[in-house]
Amino acid sequence: MSELSRPYGGYAGRILRVDLSSGRVSTQDLPRDWARLFIGGSGLAARILWEEVGPGTDPLGPDNRLIVATGPVTGTAWHTSGRSVMVSKSPLTGIWAESHFGGHFGPELKYAGFDALVVSGRSPRPVYLWVHDGTAEIRDASDMWGMDTYETTAAVRDDVGYPAAKVLSIGPAGENLVKYAAVITNSHDAAGRTGMGAVMGSKKLKAVAVRGFGSVRVADPDRFYELALEARDRVLGSDQAMELRRYGTAMLVEVKQAIGELPTYNHRSGVFEGFETIGSHHIRKNYWVATKACFACSLACKKKNLVRGGEFRGLFSGGPEYEGLYAFGSNCGVDYFPAVLKMNWLCNRYGIDVISAGVSMSFLMELRERGIIGEDLLGGVDLRWGNHEAMIEALELIARREGVGDLLAEGVREMARRIGGEAERYAMHVKGLEISGQDGRTHRSAGLTHAVAARGADHMRGLVTVDQLAYRDVAAERFGEDKADRVVDGYSEDYKALAVKMHEDAYAVRDSLIVCWYSVGWPPLFWVDDFSRVLSAVTGEESWSDVGEVWLAGERIVNLKRAFNVREGITRRDDTLPERFTREPMPEGPGRGQVVDLERMLDEYYELRGWDLETGFPTRERLEELGLSDVAEELAGAGKLARGGGGS
Amino acid sequence: MPAVDRILVVDPERCTGCRICEAACSYQHYGEFNPRRSYITVLKRESDGLFVPMVCQHCAKPLCVEACPTGALYQYGSAVFLDKSKCIECRQCVNACPFGGVGIDPVTLQVVKCDLCGGDPQCARRCPTGAISYVRADLVGYRRKLEGAERLSRLTSLIVPSGGG
Ligand code: SF4
Ligand code: SF4
Repeated sequence: MSELSRPYGGYAGRILRVDLSSGRVSTQDLPRDWARLFIGGSGLAARILWEEVGPGTDPLGPDNRLIVATGPVTGTAWHTSGRSVMVSKSPLTGIWAESHFGGHFGPELKYAGFDALVVSGRSPRPVYLWVHDGTAEIRDASDMWGMDTYETTAAVRDDVGYPAAKVLSIGPAGENLVKYAAVITNSHDAAGRTGMGAVMGSKKLKAVAVRGFGSVRVADPDRFYELALEARDRVLGSDQAMELRRYGTAMLVEVKQAIGELPTYNHRSGVFEGFETIGSHHIRKNYWVATKACFACSLACKKKNLVRGGEFRGLFSGGPEYEGLYAFGSNCGVDYFPAVLKMNWLCNRYGIDVISAGVSMSFLMELRERGIIGEDLLGGVDLRWGNHEAMIEALELIARREGVGDLLAEGVREMARRIGGEAERYAMHVKGLEISGQDGRTHRSAGLTHAVAARGADHMRGLVTVDQLAYRDVAAERFGEDKADRVVDGYSEDYKALAVKMHEDAYAVRDSLIVCWYSVGWPPLFWVDDFSRVLSAVTGEESWSDVGEVWLAGERIVNLKRAFNVREGITRRDDTLPERFTREPMPEGPGRGQVVDLERMLDEYYELRGWDLETGFPTRERLEELGLSDVAEELAGAGKLARGGGGS
Repeated sequence: MPAVDRILVVDPERCTGCRICEAACSYQHYGEFNPRRSYITVLKRESDGLFVPMVCQHCAKPLCVEACPTGALYQYGSAVFLDKSKCIECRQCVNACPFGGVGIDPVTLQVVKCDLCGGDPQCARRCPTGAISYVRADLVGYRRKLEGAERLSRLTSLIVPSGGG
């Protein structure tokens, strides 16, 4: 591997390209200006997707791309530098798709000599990809087709003869093009959202295995190592981080119950009477066995649990995260933890997104309760609140796309379209992506985040925690003393547009470095000034030591994803929320009576973004300021660029 | 009486598998991040969640030293060191060590082993959970007893669950 190809410190310097239609494997040098403008990870992948996946591309066709990207920090010793991202056009939503995952795959890809992998085309027969030491082979996977992700991982490792190979794989759900099929690595780590597993399935790509003996070299190793040590100490010195290590993300069950934001019965309510037995204290006391971490993480939020008695005796599995506990637990009225663990485990084995699967089931439960669908539609699967046996049965059917599983596999937007009538009112999604475990009624900024995030109802790209969890000090630091009290009021729309925009820009940088949500979003230990120091020490590019430049990069990446969606036809009309959040007051709990005034927050948000108030299109001026002139040009050509310098 | 030296102690139960120790080791010795160049390796068995950091045990009766024909490997205090100037790269030691404590660097293809970072082992320094520590040899036994007692009491509480189930 030549040193010359590395644009800056931290990067491997190459992109691996695999075309499954022709069987061609090639490499491309990482362009220096892409690294400077888009950093890496999600930003770099946005640039590639923008250039290569034009409007109207069939997400499940050969022209779609599947990108696995790392960032300049990936594979170093900086806290949480083991994360990576999958990017594509989503078969579930038809727009921008990104799904981040932990474990050890990303660092290994860097050690193998690549910052990113871009897969195009479609193989005529099942294959897997064996990436090692600067090259890759496409290998036959006919014997593996039909296997679950655990079996596939073992089979692939066996086939390459290297037991420590890091493997990404799909299960039957991905093969059967379940619209929200997930990609699994490291047994329990998932690129869960937006159907990346179905994109792999459509390409007949069963797995990707990687091994690398190379190094990641940073520009200023001594300064960088100092920063890494300091980051570690900051994490170990934080009580909240250590609480998260003890209880995992499951602790959000109790936190959110207390503030009335634990989605319950298909997001109807924000409090669940059975929360205690799916909460972290109960889990820790009765099921916890071990605590695990992704590569280079000092926090270690991952839990392994064992069921010691009852119906699921002997079940040993990682997870579930908070989102699984809400999606299969409170949101479906299930208060029996072992059942939630079982469903989470099935999703890992079959390769299914936990959130979309849970919300698709809670949708049918509500429709049935309201008499909008008849028993015939369920085909004998007794989906009703709290019936975990029926849910387990439904998951099996989803993975195989049989019976009612074939309908459930489409996700709630398409299900509502097929069912018709009043169904859409209860379909909890934005832009086709099922809503994650927040509720804008008791956490206003979450409402705006769900409405505007590039991949649909997303909590990872802009979720503000300073209001949700009342970090007044942090709010004062970020927004000023005068605004802090209004910012931390979760029931008020005040300053939420400002907060969401700021957090989206910061998180876009986080997702491009790539580092983890935990310890950036929550607890709020690292922020953009930290990213600035880390980026300049890793890359050696001096301009990154200017925090303003880093903020600008974040804004650039957010705008590029927006441009991708606008080119696909997204407008302000799609930046919306289910009626439940804007018209149906929260029925009970601490937030009783609350609704979201979305339009007000949206106006303010577009204004701050410099997007057109009426259409939600970006403006030429703003795109040019961000160094995206070519993007502006293309949008103008498609009649999708707004005039003027601001939103008004 | 000889001075009691410190030794590296590994506690797999605390290990989260984050591999910071590997990254730190490669940085310490090569100035870059590359777990394959690390002298410590975290063995993983994902299916049952087993993570065991494997590193030279600095044995009191080292088989590597016995196997070495040139005296390149030698004991000093309670540690085992490698004198590269005497090493003829015959790899007898790699074969002899029952723990994989002596390895081959994938870049230089030369024999390498843990040198305790000159007295401040970075794996122990950087490990965020205390799974690796560098402690006085005479205290290890006592610590092990304490841990054993802890484990026993945890087991007892499993057998007689204190409510719930
Ligand atoms: S290299 Fe192996 S045999 Fe030699 S001292 Fe270390 S553990 Fe013992
Ligand atoms: S640094 Fe500590 S916790 Fe992390 S892998 Fe090494 S021994 Fe285990």
